[in-house]
Amino acid sequence: MATSNQQVEQVPMPNTDDLASATATAMATSQTISADEVALYDRQIRLWGMEAQARMRNANILIINMRALANEIAKNLVLAGIGSLTVLDPDFVEEDDLGAQFFISEEHVGINRAKAAVPAIQRLNPRVSVHADTERIQDKPVEFFKNFDIVIATDIDLDSMLLINDATRKWNISFYAGATYGFYGFIFADLISHSFVIKRIRSNIKTQIGRETRTRSVISTTEKKEGDTIWEFVTKQEIYCPLSEAIRSEVDNKWRPKKRKMVPSVLPGIKALWKFQQKLGRLPQSTREDFAEFTKIMTEVDKELALPEELVKAEFIRQFVENAAAELSPVAAVLGGLLAQDAINTLGKMEQPIQNLLVFDGDISVAPIVVLALQPED
Amino acid sequence: MIYSSTMGRDSRSRKSLGSLHTHIKESRVLMVGAGGIGCELLKNLVLTGFGEIHLVDLDTIDLSNLNRQFLFGVQHLKKPKAVVAKEAAGKFNHSVKLEAYHANIKDSQFTVKWFKGFDLVFNALDNLDARKHVNRMCLTADIPLIESGTTGYHGQVQIIKQGATECYDCNPKPVPRSFPVCTIRSTPSQPIHCIVWAKSYLFAEVFGTSEESSPELDRSENPENEIANLKCEAEELKNIREKMDTPDYAEYIFEKVFNRDIVRLLSIEDIWKSRPQPMPLKYSKIAQEAKDLGPEIAQEGHRKWSLAQNFVVFADSVERLASRMLRLKSVAMEGHETPIMEFDKDDEDMLDFVAAAANLRSCVFGIELKSKFDIKQMAGNIIPAIATTNAITAGLCVLQAFKVLRNNLKQGRMIFLAKNADRAISAEKLASPNSKCQECGVARASVDAHVSKATLRDFVERVIRQGLGYGEDISVLSSKLLYDVDFDDDLDKPLKELGFGDETLITIRDEEGDEVGHRINLVIVVTNNEDLKGDMITVPGRLEIPRKSKSEIEESNSCRDMHQIEVGINNAATAKKRKLGEEFTIIEDRPNKKRAVGREDEQDFVIFGDDGTITID
Repeated sequence: MATSNQQVEQVPMPNTDDLASATATAMATSQTISADEVALYDRQIRLWGMEAQARMRNANILIINMRALANEIAKNLVLAGIGSLTVLDPDFVEEDDLGAQFFISEEHVGINRAKAAVPAIQRLNPRVSVHADTERIQDKPVEFFKNFDIVIATDIDLDSMLLINDATRKWNISFYAGATYGFYGFIFADLISHSFVIKRIRSNIKTQIGRETRTRSVISTTEKKEGDTIWEFVTKQEIYCPLSEAIRSEVDNKWRPKKRKMVPSVLPGIKALWKFQQKLGRLPQSTREDFAEFTKIMTEVDKELALPEELVKAEFIRQFVENAAAELSPVAAVLGGLLAQDAINTLGKMEQPIQNLLVFDGDISVAPIVVLALQPED
Repeated sequence: MIYSSTMGRDSRSRKSLGSLHTHIKESRVLMVGAGGIGCELLKNLVLTGFGEIHLVDLDTIDLSNLNRQFLFGVQHLKKPKAVVAKEAAGKFNHSVKLEAYHANIKDSQFTVKWFKGFDLVFNALDNLDARKHVNRMCLTADIPLIESGTTGYHGQVQIIKQGATECYDCNPKPVPRSFPVCTIRSTPSQPIHCIVWAKSYLFAEVFGTSEESSPELDRSENPENEIANLKCEAEELKNIREKMDTPDYAEYIFEKVFNRDIVRLLSIEDIWKSRPQPMPLKYSKIAQEAKDLGPEIAQEGHRKWSLAQNFVVFADSVERLASRMLRLKSVAMEGHETPIMEFDKDDEDMLDFVAAAANLRSCVFGIELKSKFDIKQMAGNIIPAIATTNAITAGLCVLQAFKVLRNNLKQGRMIFLAKNADRAISAEKLASPNSKCQECGVARASVDAHVSKATLRDFVERVIRQGLGYGEDISVLSSKLLYDVDFDDDLDKPLKELGFGDETLITIRDEEGDEVGHRINLVIVVTNNEDLKGDMITVPGRLEIPRKSKSEIEESNSCRDMHQIEVGINNAATAKKRKLGEEFTIIEDRPNKKRAVGREDEQDFVIFGDDGTITID
């Protein structure tokens, strides 16, 4: 499996031949996917194509920390057939970990979490190279990150996320961060500058080249006729900002008050959690003092985001804080699936990626995605 | 770490769930299906700590499952999914009790009573038929059902609760895609038409059904000469079957379907007035072009083959299949039916044949050719599938289950995965039941009967007329009509003879007079009870059954056509395989089973995306 530095990929031009020839080309040029792999990956190749599958098998991914969310991400990436996965975690398995993690069991209590999980991860797909790293990410030299195509930081504090994102920016690497807090969670993406192709049936309205949103532009389109259907392949580009900028940003200043009122509390809640953890060195607990402190921080954060006061609700805060140190398997499954699929799409350069913060409230079933990036002052 | 690590594996979920956690530990749930969604869902249920989980799946493990069904590995190929899933997931939490059934959920062992033993049922299925069945059982047993489905990037979850929400059948599922017979047999214009022809006509006629294959088109809209033509073609094909043991078999078939039939078709000039004419292929000519090609091209599944290459694969696959067929015949017992082959997309010989034949036909009609890979997907109704969609969907199922267990349906949602820049999921409030729904808009009752001793008359007179107060004009149905005013032949037969088993669902339709004022349908669960003395049947107390209103009747009439189709499809398993050329439906189902059923009002080939919410494109 290739673990060498990935050169900058060209945007895939949709083939003017059909999928069959494209796959034939992909097979010839990309250090071919073996017949065995084609049989194994059949059902996913039928979804995203041979080229995307070939791209994936050269990818080298780093996951930081191995808790419930990371279990799910690792499972999904390894099943998909990436080239190599490194799992980094300095901590040791505790009994509490067993409630939402399926790569480990009772016999692993006391063993390093990364080391404990690797054998089971590896068993999911022998074609993927799986490695454990037991060091602290904060102790790693910046060169450590250089060889990865994607770095995924899970269940980690804000300052560490910022540190890691600095490193990924330095090497022009895609960065994801995510965490689950009981029913709640988030996914943040910094793909720097990412081009991708979406495939759709050509509509009667001509697709305009140029800026689509403040972060996204349409670069080009091509068409392909298949029987009676005309497919359109639209190449787009998303420009991202690093987390350090996102945390200084407000929501889109074009949003009307009505829309701002509809924003779920989990958005300021998550940011407040980051801030609380940054300030006090831990997550909040269900004590009167912590509720008070958290409310104060969430009120500040709410203002920073330019969101209305009513999002800072006592009953939300109570439930949110109770969930802060919780882990729920189904929530890890949802966020782990969403994050892994986004990473897979990034490698395959297909589908609209997350731009740039997804927050999840598993209690009221919402998962909005908001752009937090600096905007020109009005 | 802030908290004491001696709090145990439940500590982190307890923080979220509070008292619900105890409720979950005491719950007994059923999961139907242990495949894509099932593996993910089982993992979630076990980790979350559901006390007892039963899982049912009739399928065995295939290599193509392993990209997402993560509880299975290469060492498990061909083993039953339910059994292996139980073994693998059981390791995630030893305090959960798991029970696996390698069986079909439609089996009689899974009675309404059995369903009632669960607090919650999860569907993790991939076909319409099983979903409808579980829907019906859960409605009858009044057990909440979490329904879900995935295709590619799309996923969907909903809660179904008798009386409170829409059921699976409240909204008609999308009509399966269909093609007129003439398009398949005479005027194809797309690769799919040629593929359907190759699989459902040519393969079936040559290696499949051994029945008399001349079609009868009753209410045909085809011109007279076209019908006669189709009849003639099929007769000839039947005669060619006799030649299976000759080395020229492939040539006979080829010359007939790609040459003579086309020539004959060309003679019906009307058809070609506004269409490009097909070009017949001559066997000897192409054999010459292909003489240096070997049959190994068949292995290049992702490449489009040339005419000559398709020819070679065709001839070679005919030879392979003919040998197999002859072998089957020679071992068949005397006096038994001639063996037939059913198309199986994973059977390489069959797939090669269908792919080559479809492409050859495409050549004839000037249609673009397709690779074997693409043809396999179209012929085999393969639905692309990935781990992540299943993982997300299964996670959402459990989150919805929490709402049910908390008795909080108002907070329940119907959830869709969105491919959207501004949200990952869309959620809608659960809709109220459709009062005209034939599945859930019914009244219900239960009756015990000694089915070997009680007769239909006992049932009709004592239970329905005397007990429930119905009049003369009623219909009594199981999966078929048992009794109505014009059909009373079977009244004196014991129930057992009419198909009643340990548990039987009977529908009573009120036909008295004007439709306004009819009672809504009544579904009775008849449970066999051999301890009954005396009357051999229990009589339920008087039941107030709601009656239909005028507006309901008007609206329901417009839904009736759809319902009849659904009923026709439900009866698929019992209907005999009908002849080609008639109106009929081909229903594709997993893993490689196929049934054909009559559908009175359409003269179509229908290709049914076997997941009810997805149609083939």
